[in-house]
Amino acid sequence: MDSFLSHYMSRFLVIPGLLLGAWIFSSSQLPAQTETEPVYTAPVGAPPPVAPPVRKGSPLDHLTNDVKLATPTVGYKEGNTNAPDYWVAHRFVDDMGGSGWGWVKKKGDGWGSAKWVALQENPGLAVAPYRKLLLHDADNNWEYKFWGSIAAYKAYDPHLDEMVPVFILQGYEVVGSANPLNIKTGPSDRVRHRPSGASSRNSRPILTDPGID
Amino acid sequence: MKVAISGKMIVPLMRLLVTFISFLVLGTLAASAQSREDIVLTGGPALRFLEHGKAASHDFYWFNFIDASVIRLKELKDQAKPDEQVTWVVYRPGYVSRSHEMEMDLLPQIKAKAQQVGVNLVWFDTKEELISYFNKGLDRDKTKIASFDYFGHSNKACFLFDYSNTIDTMSITFLHVRDLKKIDSDDFSSHAACKSWGCHSGEMYSQWWKSHFNFPMIGAIGKTDFSHGGEPVLSNSDGKWTQ
Repeated sequence: MDSFLSHYMSRFLVIPGLLLGAWIFSSSQLPAQTETEPVYTAPVGAPPPVAPPVRKGSPLDHLTNDVKLATPTVGYKEGNTNAPDYWVAHRFVDDMGGSGWGWVKKKGDGWGSAKWVALQENPGLAVAPYRKLLLHDADNNWEYKFWGSIAAYKAYDPHLDEMVPVFILQGYEVVGSANPLNIKTGPSDRVRHRPSGASSRNSRPILTDPGID
Repeated sequence: MKVAISGKMIVPLMRLLVTFISFLVLGTLAASAQSREDIVLTGGPALRFLEHGKAASHDFYWFNFIDASVIRLKELKDQAKPDEQVTWVVYRPGYVSRSHEMEMDLLPQIKAKAQQVGVNLVWFDTKEELISYFNKGLDRDKTKIASFDYFGHSNKACFLFDYSNTIDTMSITFLHVRDLKKIDSDDFSSHAACKSWGCHSGEMYSQWWKSHFNFPMIGAIGKTDFSHGGEPVLSNSDGKWTQ
């Protein structure tokens, strides 16, 4: 009987023994945890690193040094604007503080089909028209012809914790100022959002369920 | 109450004790045979073109995240035993586009820094590649992630690897708190030491991290400042680290 018990009990103890052994090891502190948190001290007298000099003629040079306008110049073109198909674009500054650019719709379509988009610029080819203006919102409610396409991906707006369709800009032409549109601002699913506190800006309206995945 | 142990019982009891101790030792040895990996994750800088003229303009210095990462990598490398791996995971497209803007190839410089410190450099281009590295970059049954550090842009809900790099003030490659469920918690050792050096992570990301992985990640309440060129510091007067 004793032999029988010890035989089976020794087998029963195999698994707890293994688990106990693993637990003893894995619950010990790892070297990285035992170190005190490092504190960076800037070298005495050393200047902070800065951006290199701007090359003459580069997009950043133009952005920095070209004369800025109060409003866009009607008829001005930039980038590739030769293709017969284009989009009609209506600039609108998001009153909820998002970084979207405005609406775009295909030529000939109604504004009901318009998409709220973020603008992916191409420095050196075509950039947001407001880059030529004194203020980034100086072209609010202006319209443009846009050449380019809707991207397969969306952009994450960290200010509102939401996903926004992306328009990749290849070229544009200034059409002129227009009446405000009576359509909803923001991505189509914004209405379903509820406050979540996901944005890092406490003063801004906060949305939840940014549609990730 | 007295328990009498007869002479006949001593031998089986001794065998039982030896068996138990043997498996205890074997279990401990098996666990100790598991190797560790320290991971430093580095996001990309903004483009100066997209940040130009802003009141809070980011990333004048293109290697602010890189230099901070290298400091941490050196610390980890100094602590690591010869057979332990220290891995530097870097968002490549962010440095490709900044290279293009600066007309200076930054990638060889990053490779040289990794080589100097003696760490394994892993590039990633997409969120999926990053998650795949966590889950399958090494055999996670044998090599657990023992520490994780993030250097890059972030808000409270998201690591933003290309903030203002592709689209002004936005990101198309990011790791949102909702993405954490795609990372297997078994990838990490049970007491992994984790820290986000980015802005605001302690306000939400740390809580989601602990909830998913069951161990904490230190994060900042408020903003962090990388502009000194070294490890970032809390920039808000009421800022603090939390987990």
